[in-house]
Formats: sequence, structure tokens, C-alpha cells
Amino acid sequence: MSDYSDKELLTLFKDIEKRNYAFNLIVRKYQVKLYWHIRKIVIKHDDTNDILQNTFVKAWKGLDGFREDSKLYTWLYRIATNESLTFLKQQKTKYLMPLVDYENQLKESLESDEYFNGDEIQRKLQKAILGLPEKQRIVFNMKYFDEMKYDDMAEILKTSVGALKASYHHAVKKIENYFKED
Amino acid sequence: MKNFSKKLDKIKANKSNPFSVPDGYFEYFPTRMQERIISENKEYKWIIKLFKYVKPQFALGFMIVAFTVIAYTTANFILSNRTNNIDSELFTRTIEVDPSEFTEQHFIDVLLEDEKRFEEEKKEETDFYIHYLVDEDIDYRTLIDEL
Repeated sequence: MSDYSDKELLTLFKDIEKRNYAFNLIVRKYQVKLYWHIRKIVIKHDDTNDILQNTFVKAWKGLDGFREDSKLYTWLYRIATNESLTFLKQQKTKYLMPLVDYENQLKESLESDEYFNGDEIQRKLQKAILGLPEKQRIVFNMKYFDEMKYDDMAEILKTSVGALKASYHHAVKKIENYFKED
Repeated sequence: MKNFSKKLDKIKANKSNPFSVPDGYFEYFPTRMQERIISENKEYKWIIKLFKYVKPQFALGFMIVAFTVIAYTTANFILSNRTNNIDSELFTRTIEVDPSEFTEQHFIDVLLEDEKRFEEEKKEETDFYIHYLVDEDIDYRTLIDEL
């Protein structure tokens, strides 16, 4: 499964007869990475599952027009990030409340989430991350947890490397302050 | 900041991912995804089928609307052109733009036409006054005295 490169998978996808098989391989290759990327943004497993499915459906529909001037992996990450941000906006408008309140709800849900098995310091870190603005949160997660290169992050988030470095720096500073205050 | 970065590294070293997923989630996800893609495809094909079916009707409707608009605009244009009479003023203004295109006879015709119209109007006015004086039985001298 993992023997196939992105280029080989895309070539396979172009063959109508092997399209389903190729897409299945793409799902198998990227599902774990994308799942954790989305999960760290929306926190809840059920929401993550929905967003991950939507991400792959969009990828399926868009793969025909995918230009190979960007990497498949960064393209999928971009779809997943946009889907997650759209989901957060929908939550905000659905319950007519500011995003901060929704994030407070997420912080509270960490206490009772059956799929959260971190220790106290991990919980504290997640709460601190949830207190960050959306973009800083995504940048921090990508750098800290996924150990992604700034160049790839810049391609996914369509910003400059300098801006990303500044975002990450501010995020770490805010998390440090949260730890000091708490 | 440096100390805190070290602390963050330590947290990550202990346990990088505090979240978990239901058992077998990643094993079954590709199958669920495949099912979803098949159902999405069915839906998409149904929409395409429907579009193919209603396309001729849409085209016919569009053609009728387009024909009506063109016919209405043309009729309006023709009717508005018919009611536009060129008067001597417009004629004069047109001459001012390019007098070389008009002969001397054109000018004479326009002046005669204007004069004729003026005389007709004047005659109608005089008739009106005479009828008034006759109807009211007013003596011409009385009128002069009053003035």
C-alpha cells in the first residue's frame, strides 16, 4: 500500500478502471495523518470523522482537475484545513454564539471525552492550545505535533514562511503565559 | 521562552498524542469511504441524468424567451421611429452640422413651409377674433375707444 508514490497513485487514478482502487490506496495512505490534523482542530472524534469523510469526498471530486504542480499531500492537508475551519464557523453560526464560547465548550468536553487519554499536563496543554486564535492553533499543531516543515506549511496555508514562524512564536508565548497563570 | 520550549519538548516526549480513536477505526474507514463515494457517485449520476432529460425543455424555453425579447425590442424600435417627425428646427440644426450636403432649394422649401404654417396659424387666430366680435355684437369703434 505505502509502496506507491503520489505520482504513481495519481497515474493509477487517471485510469478509469483502476480509479476506485487508486482512491482506496490514497485514503489508506493519508487517513491517519489527516485524521489527527483535523482532530486537533475540532477535538471531538465524531466531528473529525465527518470532516475527514468530507475531505476525501472533495478530493475524489477534485482529483481529476488536480494539477501536479503541488504535492498531493499538501493539497489534501489544505482541503482538510479548510473543511475544519468551515466546520468551526458553522458551529458558531449554528448556535449563534461567538467562537470563543464554542472553544470554551470544547475545553469542557476534554474533561469528559472518552477518546482523550492524556494526563493532566496534556489536558492543560490542549486547553492552552484551544485558547489560541484559529490560525495560530493550526500553525502550532502542524509544527509541534506533526513536525511539519515551514515550506510545506506555507504551501498548505498559503502564507509566507516568515509569517508562520511569527505565528508559531506567538503561539508558544501565549501557551507559556497560560501555564504561568494557571 | 527557551525553558518553556524545553518543557514542551518534554511533554511531547512523554506522550505525543493524548487523543485516541475507537477500536478498528482506521481499518474500517477506507471501506466506509468507498461506500460513501459510491453513494455520492449515484447521486451525481442521477443529477446528470435529470439534467440531460430537462436540457431540451430548458433550451426551448430559453429560445422562446429570447425570441420574444428580440421581437418586442424590434417592434418598439420601429414604432418609435415612425412617430418621429423631422421639424424645421431639427432640419436647421442638421444643416448646421454639414451644410454642404444641402442645396439652395432645400433652404427655400423649408422657409416657405414655415411661412405657410405661420400664415395658417395667424388666419385661424384672426377668424377667432372676428367670430367673437360678431357673436358679442361689439362695435369696432367702441373697441378702439376702449383701447
